[in-house]
Amino acid sequence: MASVWLTGLALVLAGPVPALLARARWTRSVPRAAIVLWQSVAIAAVLAAVGSALAAPEALLRAFFHPEERTGLALAVAVGVAAVLAGLIVARLVVVLVLLAVRTRVRRARHRDMIDLLARAEEVDAGGSLRAGTVLRVLDGAVPFAYCVPGRVGSEGRVVVTGAALQTLCPKELRAVIAHEQAHLAARHDLVREGFTALHRAFPVIVRSREARDAVALLLEMLADDAGRRRVGDDAMAGALDAFASSDRAGYGPDVVERLERIRSCVHGGRALAVGTYLAAVALVVVPTITIVIPWLTDALPTVGVR
Amino acid sequence: MSLGTLLRVALGELERAVMAQLWSAEEPLTVRDVHDRLERELAYTTVMTVLGRLAKKGLVRQERDGKAYRYAAASSREQMAAELMLDALGDVGEDRTAALVAFVDRVGPAEVEALRRALDTPAQGTPRPADRSPES
Repeated sequence: MASVWLTGLALVLAGPVPALLARARWTRSVPRAAIVLWQSVAIAAVLAAVGSALAAPEALLRAFFHPEERTGLALAVAVGVAAVLAGLIVARLVVVLVLLAVRTRVRRARHRDMIDLLARAEEVDAGGSLRAGTVLRVLDGAVPFAYCVPGRVGSEGRVVVTGAALQTLCPKELRAVIAHEQAHLAARHDLVREGFTALHRAFPVIVRSREARDAVALLLEMLADDAGRRRVGDDAMAGALDAFASSDRAGYGPDVVERLERIRSCVHGGRALAVGTYLAAVALVVVPTITIVIPWLTDALPTVGVR
Repeated sequence: MSLGTLLRVALGELERAVMAQLWSAEEPLTVRDVHDRLERELAYTTVMTVLGRLAKKGLVRQERDGKAYRYAAASSREQMAAELMLDALGDVGEDRTAALVAFVDRVGPAEVEALRRALDTPAQGTPRPADRSPES
């Protein structure tokens, strides 16, 4: 029975739940809690998939063999198949995650080296938006652009703006952009994104991992927007977004429209909604473990001789 | 500022100065050449260390010339700037690896295309390693 429940749970968490959550509008008023909920959905989905891979062979063994026959070869095959199935899921995820992490860090190191060589020598007044451990770099460039490159442990992250961005933004808007990027660096948003990118690379087609990755990326931007709003104000943050987006020949991307709307309509999350979201996130991981996995283990382990 | 930060800033500034010399040079330079061109009170070994660091980062090419090593920039300043912006602008859509976090995703691929073209046209004076034929 456990394997049916776990398979069902894995399917629901990999398909309909991400689809619904990606379309939900309430998440944008509590971005931090919503990101935690997304992480919990992802963890619960992977755990349920691993659990169902482990439980399925045992369920088949029960269905087709008499209790006395559930020994020897049949048992060995069932345990072996379970281990291989579960191992495949875990190994795929781990390998993708490690490869992505290594490549990302190599690429960042090279990017930081090149920025340090090419950046303009002049100082820009960050208006106190930069904390210790972060460096602001200005690159010559005709495209208004701003981004951050996380540093290694013990080395500084870089907030990068182009010369065109400096010309486009007024000083308050520049401070808002810097506060936004600083928030990404300080809260290590890159690690959250990396996790969902890896999940999407590991399981790209069947599951709705792309929706998850993109929805989380947008929520992280909203979270960083909120940091900029707190530091410099709603007008400056919205003005900066507007300035960047309208300088783009392709026009406003859907994400930018959403972020602008959100700032202008002064969306502020209710405490109750946030608490409810956190509770749902915890429940998603804890409840299936208590109601499905523990009864199954107490039931199944004696079968394979573990008491 | 801590001592470590000060040292790092000084070293970064030195790397920029050395790189500027390599970029402005017509041909690969020896450590002595770079040392002389820098026109500051620097130990020879300091210049050697900085060049070694830049070579290790892949930003400078090191070639053997008799007993000495000669150094040249791995790519021109313009190419490096284009590569940098391409890396930043290209980290969107399906290529996204979260190596960088952009303030606003540039939806238009026009800039990326323009930069790719800029990268493909080699700058005068500095042949890129990939452009050299196997015989040379």
